[in-house]
Amino acid sequence: MKYFGSGRSGAFDWFFQRVSGIVLLVTLFLHFYVMHFAIEGPITYEKVMVRLSSPGWKALDIVFLIFAVYHAVNGFKLIIDDYVHSTVLRAVTIGLLWVMGIAFLTIGIMTIVNLRVQS
Amino acid sequence: MAEKVTFKVFRFNPEKDKKPYYQDFEVEIRKPGMMVLDGLNQIRWEMDGTLAFRRSCREGVCGSDGLNINGVNMLSCITHISDLKPPIVIQPLPSLPVVKDLVVDLTDFMNKFFLVKPYLITYSPPPDKERLQTPEERKKLDGLYECILCACCSTSCPSYWADPEYLGPSALLNSARFILDSRDEGADERFEIINDRHGVWRCHTILNCIEACPKLLNPTEAIGELKKILIKKKF
Repeated sequence: MKYFGSGRSGAFDWFFQRVSGIVLLVTLFLHFYVMHFAIEGPITYEKVMVRLSSPGWKALDIVFLIFAVYHAVNGFKLIIDDYVHSTVLRAVTIGLLWVMGIAFLTIGIMTIVNLRVQS
Repeated sequence: MAEKVTFKVFRFNPEKDKKPYYQDFEVEIRKPGMMVLDGLNQIRWEMDGTLAFRRSCREGVCGSDGLNINGVNMLSCITHISDLKPPIVIQPLPSLPVVKDLVVDLTDFMNKFFLVKPYLITYSPPPDKERLQTPEERKKLDGLYECILCACCSTSCPSYWADPEYLGPSALLNSARFILDSRDEGADERFEIINDRHGVWRCHTILNCIEACPKLLNPTEAIGELKKILIKKKF
């Protein structure tokens, strides 16, 4: 018996949950290092925004965002796979998950792309 | 007066009872080193002959008497009463249908075991003598072949409880026992079965199976090995 909409084995989900987890861990420590060691205190709005507005950081933030949203949505998907057995309820919950994931991704990318130092 | 220990035993007779209930028995400690099974036998032989439970070899080899004792799955025949905190709560293995009292229906568990083809599959012509393997190749099977199918691991697994289709740690460990065997040639057909949402990928490394296994095997590690092989094949 296959559940609704799951033609795949789950190998990809499992593997990339780990890959995205490692990416999140690396970016977390990078954030920690940059915010607390690489920056000369005190941390001000100016200093942070200048960094966040640079194209390199925007690219990194978008990568972080993609992996974070993937990791979160995939995690919820695994929980739904585990506990929601009704086909209708699965279609609804996984559909909602897609909507939420795409919404978060869109809002996040718009925010990152539009970041600039405001005076 | 000999020392007594209270056994709180799960009772359910589907022909008489609407709901399961717990019955207390005072088990007399008559000799040092008494096992839980000795206590259950004392109850059945001397106090209440209607108590149903499975047992056979009474030395941890047959795998008949997997029970949930004080919340942990174990074999009653190799568990000392003195190692447990009284009162000793004895329940059937979780998540399986109860036939009567402590006897559960293992049909589903066994079907999942048969599903992974737990036998040697070969296509190459047999050699003159037996199929040989090196001591190193044989060593890889240690920790896999000892499974006695007591169902303690699978019924301790929350993924197994939640997903009625999940093969479970026992079936997957037994598939690893043949997949990792140098003499076996059926790995691909077994991978086809276990590389599935209800196969290895349902394991979320909760590790209950390791704690439950009375033979001190490590199903989670075996499933991890299988995942590793599958990921290497795919990516």
